Amino acid sequence: MPAIAGPSSSPQKHVVGSRLEVTGGLRSAEVNTCRKRKLRSDSAAEVSSSTPVNSISTPMKWKSPRRCAVSIPKTSDEEIKEDSNGNLASPVISVVKNLDVCLDVESKWNPRDEEQMKAVKEALHVSKAPSTVVCREDEQRRVFEFVKGCMEQNKAGSLYICGCPGTGKSLSMEKVRQQAEDWAKQTGVPCLETVSVNCTSLTKSTDIFSKILGKNESGREANGSSPPLQQLQSLFSQKQQQSSSKMMLIIADEMDYLITRDRGVLHELFMLTTLPFSRCILIGVANAIDLADRFLPKLKSLNCKPLVVTFRAYSKEQILRILQERLVALPYVAFQSNALEICARKVSAASGDMRKALCVCRNALEILEIEARGSIDQEPQGPVPECQMVKMDHMLAALSKTFKSPVVDTIQSLPQHQQIIVCSAAKAFRGSKKDRTIAELNKLYLEICKSSTITPAGITEFTNMCTVLNDQGILKLSQARDDKLRRVSLRVDEADITFALKEIRFFRNCLL
Amino acid sequence: MGKEIIPAAEKSLNLIRGRLCDPSYVFRPLSASSDSNYSKLKFIVSTSITEGCNNSILLLGPRGSGKAAVLDLVVGDLLEEFPDSVSLIRLNGLLHSDDNCAFKEIARQLCMEHHLLFSKMASLDENSQFIVAMLRECGLAHKTIIFVLDEFDMFAQGKQRLLYSLLDAMQSVTSQAVVIGLSSRLDADQLLEKRVRSRFSHRKILFLPPSREEFDGLLEHLLSLPADSSFPNGYVSRFNEKIKNITSDTRFKDILRTLFNANSTVNSLLKFIFRAVSLMNLESGLLSLENFKAALSSMQRQPKLEAVRDCSILELYLLVCMRRLEVKEQSSYKIISVMKEYKTIHDSFQTSDYYAQNVCLRAFEHLRERQVICYTENRGQSQTGEYRPMKLLISASELHQGMRSHACCPAILLKLLDH
Repeated sequence: MPAIAGPSSSPQKHVVGSRLEVTGGLRSAEVNTCRKRKLRSDSAAEVSSSTPVNSISTPMKWKSPRRCAVSIPKTSDEEIKEDSNGNLASPVISVVKNLDVCLDVESKWNPRDEEQMKAVKEALHVSKAPSTVVCREDEQRRVFEFVKGCMEQNKAGSLYICGCPGTGKSLSMEKVRQQAEDWAKQTGVPCLETVSVNCTSLTKSTDIFSKILGKNESGREANGSSPPLQQLQSLFSQKQQQSSSKMMLIIADEMDYLITRDRGVLHELFMLTTLPFSRCILIGVANAIDLADRFLPKLKSLNCKPLVVTFRAYSKEQILRILQERLVALPYVAFQSNALEICARKVSAASGDMRKALCVCRNALEILEIEARGSIDQEPQGPVPECQMVKMDHMLAALSKTFKSPVVDTIQSLPQHQQIIVCSAAKAFRGSKKDRTIAELNKLYLEICKSSTITPAGITEFTNMCTVLNDQGILKLSQARDDKLRRVSLRVDEADITFALKEIRFFRNCLL
Repeated sequence: MGKEIIPAAEKSLNLIRGRLCDPSYVFRPLSASSDSNYSKLKFIVSTSITEGCNNSILLLGPRGSGKAAVLDLVVGDLLEEFPDSVSLIRLNGLLHSDDNCAFKEIARQLCMEHHLLFSKMASLDENSQFIVAMLRECGLAHKTIIFVLDEFDMFAQGKQRLLYSLLDAMQSVTSQAVVIGLSSRLDADQLLEKRVRSRFSHRKILFLPPSREEFDGLLEHLLSLPADSSFPNGYVSRFNEKIKNITSDTRFKDILRTLFNANSTVNSLLKFIFRAVSLMNLESGLLSLENFKAALSSMQRQPKLEAVRDCSILELYLLVCMRRLEVKEQSSYKIISVMKEYKTIHDSFQTSDYYAQNVCLRAFEHLRERQVICYTENRGQSQTGEYRPMKLLISASELHQGMRSHACCPAILLKLLDH
């Protein structure tokens, strides 16, 4: 199934409105876009009498990029490949400029329209891979050059890609693989064989060799005589017949699952590329930056350390650009630019993880949707009062929901005795002592209760409450033979407790 | 007259008890408002189903706050609304935290749903390939698979392979799945590895205890009898009238407050009402405030206190002696020292309760059986009972309280304890 293409990078190229072929198995969004077209022209006709002149002209000006945007789900693979090599910078800027102009015309985006909402959510979904990977051109180019070099010289090589989660590593690998295959087809070099393995799915780490072997010689069944590693090694140490002179591209995702105590599997895997007649290009993907240094010291001595390409976490500008890329194909503007900016700023400061940014945007959309639906119940009939785009407050609410920990809320809603226990734990673990028995905690608890004439709970009830708090992850209880000797420690920061209980004067005095 | 009421009383008792044991009945009114957790969860899952996109949610809250009940309500409603496009897979962290078991269980449930044959001999690889293939097929057929992971924090132990494969499969366009995790640990998503956490969509729904008004509404909903023909008319109105009187009484509110100060989850309220209702006087067929008081005291029992309350006078003497020895900085004491202290008390205060050594030994045995005292170490098995060190298992305040509520505790003992 062809990858569902996202927003194209250079909409000005496709000024073809008549492209109506439908590639198989796609969603029903395209049918709705036809309907959308009619809706917009109708609304444009209605609006024309009341809105100023320049807004009438902008729908006209927009028609060609919108029509091209509509035709994007129907473009075939060749066009995607054509423009993937194209220059990305200038069309994006001009498209963004058009976006700003379009902000004046606000009557297009209707949050109550389910089809529009669905289309925007789809554009922002994590699983929807865009056709071009923005902001990773540099890294992709490096990897592609490396693979090209290996293929041209018919030599083996190894590459290690590292980076935090959500920085586009697996996505870029897919693109590079496609690029390499197309380049091989174009230049007539024998086609590349690819083995893509996700190392979490291997039951034993040595299974990776059988996977590689399975792909290499599909006809021959694995005979139990020699293990797959030896077979591979013997394969690569002898000169090959001319028939099978294909290069093999091995992509090992989540490579740190292959790390065993003696690092045998990793070493063997990388050393496959050092054998004299080896034909494999090995690309390993993981999160640790120093995996190659820490776990592959032998390779350094053999002078074949893998090349390291680091995918850095996204910066604020990069996140903003990627979000705008995804939204640019849609004919309406759902997000205010400052909302997108604050989302990019917060996520890049926290982790630089693109998945989180997309998630937060979808959350903000849902908040807007609930708000719009809520107002539907109040006024059942009537036009959209004002443009309801995703504004700053929606985005801020979505951000706080994602980044806030539920600890403060839970502590505030605990029953009174449990709050007193949490308080006494905070006081007990203030100094250097991080560990106490239940009996000692009970003493502190009784003191606090006595000082405020609250009837304390008995020791059984106290232990039960400590168990409940342990279940919730606020305290940590160890196991011991005697109930009273179990050790307690605090899992939550004292600052969180103080913040949560600051409204109540009793606890404020308690925690002083 | 009495005979007429009794069957109706029993019937009403059964009705109320049945209601209390049915979680969907209990949580329906709590879910009625549009701001509740029920509607939030329903919105997320139904939009995922209708739009065909993947989602993952975490339901967090203390035990007994209704996470599983609300989830069952939502799932039941969705199965009615979309009968053909939802299939449900349930896993429990206590049973299936091992990857082999988990994959086998998922494959088995998928086979059952789609009427395929399941082979127990399938390996982990085959199971995972089957699952991936099924996800793809269901995605093409626009059928959403809902994975419910109970005790989510148990899945986060070890290598988290299952979580990674599930969440990774949801990153692709071909599958259509929703992963709902239920956990009582608030920091369940901090337990995830960074890879898995990045793929998780960070939606959390917090189950906080309901407010006071919601509790009052819940009480009324649970305890009022319906006015249908199976009950005699007068009885229903009398019963509901009595309930209203009780719930507006300040003493009842005090009882509720004491209950909520210890444990404010819905589950503990249900247990409390169940006990109160079970104590209903079947001859009058009506509830009373005493029922609720008795229920509260049975819920907040203190076993050691009751043990002290049931002790004989001699045993109380011995306990006081041990306490006095403890005050003198001896953390464990042999029977000989306790007897010495006992003699000293008898000599100084000329009490009439002086018993011989063998009677005292039997008293010690009784106390040890009831776990009020115990031997400090188990190593010295060879020593005879008299020379093994012992210690108290109850605290001074418990002893004090127990003695004060004792039926006939001599006043001198209380005085001795205070010194």
